[in-house]
Amino acid sequence: MKRLLHCERRLFAGGGAHATRVLLIALIFLPALAHAYAGPGAGFAVLSSFWAIFVAFLYSFYALMTWPFRQLFRFLRRRNAYGKATFERAVILGFDGMDPELADRFMKEGRLPNLAKLRDKGTFRKLRTTFPAISPVAWSTFMTGVNPGKHNIYDFLACDRNSYLPYLSSAEIKGPKRHIKIGKYSIPFGKTEIKAMRKGTPFWHWLGDAGIFSSVIRVPVTFPPEKFQGVLLSGMCVPDLKGSQGTFCFCTTRASNDKFREGGVRVPIERKNGVCRSYVPGPDNPVKENAGEVRMEFELKPDVGSKQARFTVGSEKFTLKVGEYSEWITAEFKAGMGFTAHGICRFYLKELSPEVEVYVTPVNIDPGHPDLPISHPVTYSIYLAKLFGPYATLGLAEDTWALNEHVLDDDAFLAQAYGNHEDRERMLFDALDKTKQGLCTCVFDTTDRIQHMFWRYLEEDHPAARDVPHSEHPQVIQDLYERMDRLIGRVMEKIDEDTLLMVISDHGFKSFARCMNVNAWLHQNGYLALKEGKTESGDWFEDVDWSRTRAYTMGLNGLYLNIKGREKQGIVDPSEVEALKAELQKALNGLVDPASGAVSITGVFIADNVYRGPYTENSPDLIVGYGAGYRASWDSVMGKVTSQIFEDNIKAWSGDHCIDPRLVPGVLFSSHKFIEEKPAIVDVAPTILKLFGLALPAHFDGKPWTLATKAAAVTPAS
Amino acid sequence: MTALSNPTAGYAAAIAAFALLTSPLAIVIVLSLVVGLLMVVLFGYTSDQKAIGIAKDQLKAHLLAVRLYRDQIPVVMGSYGKILRGTGRYLKLAFKPLLYVIIPITLLMVQVDRYLGQTPIAVNAPFLLTVHTAAGEALNEAALELPPEITMTAPPVHVVAENQIVWRLSGAKDGKYALRISAGGQSVEKAVCIGGDLPRISTIRLRGKFWERMFSSAESAIPGDSPIESMSVNYPDRDISVAGYGMNWIWMFFILSMVAGFVFKELLGIQI
Repeated sequence: MKRLLHCERRLFAGGGAHATRVLLIALIFLPALAHAYAGPGAGFAVLSSFWAIFVAFLYSFYALMTWPFRQLFRFLRRRNAYGKATFERAVILGFDGMDPELADRFMKEGRLPNLAKLRDKGTFRKLRTTFPAISPVAWSTFMTGVNPGKHNIYDFLACDRNSYLPYLSSAEIKGPKRHIKIGKYSIPFGKTEIKAMRKGTPFWHWLGDAGIFSSVIRVPVTFPPEKFQGVLLSGMCVPDLKGSQGTFCFCTTRASNDKFREGGVRVPIERKNGVCRSYVPGPDNPVKENAGEVRMEFELKPDVGSKQARFTVGSEKFTLKVGEYSEWITAEFKAGMGFTAHGICRFYLKELSPEVEVYVTPVNIDPGHPDLPISHPVTYSIYLAKLFGPYATLGLAEDTWALNEHVLDDDAFLAQAYGNHEDRERMLFDALDKTKQGLCTCVFDTTDRIQHMFWRYLEEDHPAARDVPHSEHPQVIQDLYERMDRLIGRVMEKIDEDTLLMVISDHGFKSFARCMNVNAWLHQNGYLALKEGKTESGDWFEDVDWSRTRAYTMGLNGLYLNIKGREKQGIVDPSEVEALKAELQKALNGLVDPASGAVSITGVFIADNVYRGPYTENSPDLIVGYGAGYRASWDSVMGKVTSQIFEDNIKAWSGDHCIDPRLVPGVLFSSHKFIEEKPAIVDVAPTILKLFGLALPAHFDGKPWTLATKAAAVTPAS
Repeated sequence: MTALSNPTAGYAAAIAAFALLTSPLAIVIVLSLVVGLLMVVLFGYTSDQKAIGIAKDQLKAHLLAVRLYRDQIPVVMGSYGKILRGTGRYLKLAFKPLLYVIIPITLLMVQVDRYLGQTPIAVNAPFLLTVHTAAGEALNEAALELPPEITMTAPPVHVVAENQIVWRLSGAKDGKYALRISAGGQSVEKAVCIGGDLPRISTIRLRGKFWERMFSSAESAIPGDSPIESMSVNYPDRDISVAGYGMNWIWMFFILSMVAGFVFKELLGIQI
């Protein structure tokens, strides 16, 4: 704006200023003909802006005129929505993975003054989590107020009992059923079907039915978004444009045949006449059969001397220095016949000399032009994109795989994570401004991702950080908690005594120093058999002999029996199931890691004892609760059978929570005091409904908490 | 200043090239397309595209907020206020590039209007020559000299109250002729066009009045010491017929250049 004013001043300065001014005034104010002479530029400006005002005016007028009738209608239908409410507004901040022990330690060190204020004035408790302590499971329980047996989410992945292959547990996306064939083209006809696998009703639906508005931002397992009275932006489990949970692209001139274990693809860069050309892989071509993926090509011109490169991506041009991210860039994947997939991605220039290397984030669904619904209403994601610019929409937006694979370094990962975090903060504060009554809830994933990736620096001898002296370990997690505390301080400035502020986490965190391959243990103990001549199996049980296998594990905590009549090649007779469960429970519980002498499994839980509800048949048969410092190995999660049961975890992903849920409770902070000593995440939904004066649905498993006193407004620490 | 009303040779050549086209409708269509393209490009180069993009996005966001939070009147009213402020911000950003756009297009349009604004006087059709003098005495002294092809069809009418004399004339042959009026010992000429397709027409010749002369006259100024203030010929307005509906070329140009502009801005990816 300053520049514009400066230009205007310059225009009016100097010798011809008077004549110019007179000419302009004459042009603008001479009657009809001169106005028409203003031509298309003026026409566009005037029409565009007045169109906006006109539409706004019309809609405001409509909203104002119909408001009393709508209010009356609501009143007649439900009486006063807030008549029995204890609070006008509830604000729930979800800090995924915030650990109560770390929070307590940092509060004692004086690092978290705002959380300490909540502790002193309101509530600070450990929040019991779900079995297993995994985000999609725990957040599903948070929103529905029921155990996993009633909401059907047991892990990120579920097991197909026919193929022994995994599928995404939260949503199923199917392309249009019908296609019209024209030559080599097969044009999809109809809509993409997105089926929500999570069952149960989020509590904001009950609030909406009672006329209470909710703003729900990035709560996990809210994809596909469901209709209710309020606005919602989907969080964890939203796919990228390829349909995966995040596939980054690493473009490089270095020749390599290595494939990333998961989460990314390597793409060659061709260098010719000082120009480098490469591409970003997109979704599979939807209109040409067997055409493979659609690609978006790009080029860059390196300037090695100044350590920067000029990028051309579609119509966008930008310059990046080495170690710098671009803004979000529009990525259009044209498949032909007018079919275009709309995404956004960021480029990171990793190296220019001697080789050229560029990292590209997974291509996120463009929130301003969503090809799949990622919000309710659909316009909410567009609204946020117009207001704040493009933002990450992918469920797991922080690219942990790229750091694990050394494509990104610590700083690059943190820059990406905090960039997403800042977008999320802007959304939260907008929602706080817009939701003066009702529910406002926002989940921040940053806490989870950064603890996963930087726990190694909290410990003296973590296998993943042995190359860095302990004295040089960066204080990443300390900084993270302080940052979250400052966020709470800013939220406190926006609330009064009629607002309940709750800060919760779905689980805590522990070290992940040692990996355990339960499939290997099952193999070595005669529960899982390999095909003749094999000593190990590839991914997804490639070399497993199902005709001799009684148990297997897939995903993070689930252990399955190969039951006759349930699994396609099941061999365990249903009459033997209970005995086998008990046998495995006994054998695995308290299993000691011979290398360290530590207990690697502190609890094995039989699903029938921890789940109840209509979807228990989809659960694993046993839940493995690893001890602190242990977790399922990377291979075990992917259905691989190795020869070694235990090994060090040397990946950057060095902290975890997919262990014995009793060891990783979450946190509960609140601005008003609750009397419960052992609250659980399943209690949040009934508590909120009760505080808004609503009756509790009979199927709820959680119990509402009791408010000790309604305290005065909590203010941020000075 | 004279250059503004008497175009340079290059400018005139460009205009003459247009004049080669005999159909006014074709001229307006071609002109609209070219101007639509040039103006969009000029707007793109002279504007802060990023800032305009942001301002437009913000406007759209506030519009969407009105819809999303329709049951919350304070939010609706707040958004309405932001829309008004956003519109102001957008117009401010569009002001500078508009200046760059307005000046050349205005000069161009003034010149094109000489050709397309009026039709020439038809052969043997009566027309009026109106002369304004500075003072009433000059009315009695004023005398009109006509070329042989132009004849007076009625005695002059003196409108003393308005210092005006009106002659009713008629032209017998196609061509451009000079009508000479003598008054106060000086003589001044006024050009008149009889017949022809697209001659360059000047409806009026003026003394002083720079701005008015720039927009409506294609002739040099009447000398400052002349008792005559203006001389005008009542050329008929030209209507261009589209589907049986006649309209002034300016309106057609305005609509077509806007449509062209919208198309080109999309093709060129320029924010307007």
